[in-house]
Amino acid sequence: MIALVRFRLAGYARSHRALQPLIGLLPLLAILYATPVPAGEELGAMADSAGILLPVFAWAARGLLDSEPDEQRMISIVAHRRGELLSGLITACVFDLGLTVIAELALLARLSANPGIGAIMVGVCLHLFSVLAGVALGALTSRPILPSPAVSSLALILGYLAILLISASGARWLTVPVMSWMKDGHHDVLLGHLPLLAVQSLIWPLVGLAAYGWLRRTRP
Amino acid sequence: MTNLSFRYGRRDPWVLSDAGLALRPGDVTEILGPNGTGKSTLLRLLAGLLRPVEGTIEDRPGVVGYAPERFPAAQPFTVAAYLRHMAAIRGADPRRIGEWTERLGMDHLMSHQLPDLSKGSAHKVGLAQALLCEPGLLILDEPFAGLDAATRAELPTIIGEVAASGGIVVASDHQGELRALPGLRRHEVRDRTIRELPGNSAHDIADVTAAIAHGVPARNGTTQDDAGLRITAQDAAGSADDSQAVTVLEVAVSTSRAQELADRLRAEGHVVRIARETAE
Repeated sequence: MIALVRFRLAGYARSHRALQPLIGLLPLLAILYATPVPAGEELGAMADSAGILLPVFAWAARGLLDSEPDEQRMISIVAHRRGELLSGLITACVFDLGLTVIAELALLARLSANPGIGAIMVGVCLHLFSVLAGVALGALTSRPILPSPAVSSLALILGYLAILLISASGARWLTVPVMSWMKDGHHDVLLGHLPLLAVQSLIWPLVGLAAYGWLRRTRP
Repeated sequence: MTNLSFRYGRRDPWVLSDAGLALRPGDVTEILGPNGTGKSTLLRLLAGLLRPVEGTIEDRPGVVGYAPERFPAAQPFTVAAYLRHMAAIRGADPRRIGEWTERLGMDHLMSHQLPDLSKGSAHKVGLAQALLCEPGLLILDEPFAGLDAATRAELPTIIGEVAASGGIVVASDHQGELRALPGLRRHEVRDRTIRELPGNSAHDIADVTAAIAHGVPARNGTTQDDAGLRITAQDAAGSADDSQAVTVLEVAVSTSRAQELADRLRAEGHVVRIARETAE
């Protein structure tokens, strides 16, 4: 499994595809942190970062899963059966965590005041939720599930927009509560709501990943 | 493989319907059939890449080697780096890489980038990765396509060794390069079923190396040549629908085109014996 993760990560990193999510990430960071984050806005800034970077994580996950030619994926399946699926998701998580580190460092560098370890940990948690949701969205729009690149790209964008719209509506429990992260972060109630938000933030990506696993049974 | 049915989608036609296939350790079987009848689908089912819609595949060996028809050369690795990764993924001894690259005549390609390889060279990389893991089941989709003469000659030996060590080898082979392999079993995929055709014996190998047929006209369902080689209606019936009558044809063809014609007819599922050359 580790060898397969290493192989896929090496293949993605050596291909030009690994640059694509960076091209999305770096301008976003430049816009988000064009001015320093004011004191007291640390949690809000972290929640904004986690919510806004979700499509970048999804894009990276989709690109990574799709960078392997179909025949190579078949060779990997023959070698590792269900481990191929798991290794793809783990590799996507690892790459997205690398992007998270860049985003967190940029954020910390632009804070006006020391946020304290508690706020940093909340920020890390939100970014982990965002990575998980991004990997699920990226996996569900990857080539084995949606073979058409146009349909896949559109599904990824619409999927993110649906997450934003539903999480801003009264039925926010129906999706990853991205808008609730941001609202609660800016209203200083994020810490109190975090346990419930964590459950909601974990359930839907796990449902998405389970759906991906189920769909891949008939889509090698 | 028992009572197996497969189609790609609910609205798609059945590729295989109620098909069966039994393979034993040491078997080498050639999958025949016209284009588009489901040979590659059958190979993918056997490799575990596709899941049967109905029916089961049981007792698949734990280690499966799979060489696809088109090796995925669009990957950012050198041949050496790719095979090292594959050895690590399969838990194979990396020292075996050199053994297989030497046998497949690709030592000089190790520092080449995969996308720079010719079709035949890329195909060799595909074969090497499939052989690295000492497979209990080796699936080869058109393994001879694009290979040079030396590797075409070596591959049947390698396949024979895999079988001799108890492995099962299943290959689709339009080139007919496996037909000289003793004990070769042959299965035809046609009309959504799998049918076993008469296999090879040492006798068949002699037929292949013999020359062009000039047999005695068919009589009572049998054609016979001077050397006593013959096709019986029973042989031919194995490749035809049970409901169909069998006719034994006698064909004279120029020597240069004989092998090609025989291969084509065999690929279509007919029983062909090449008997002897005539001086005229």
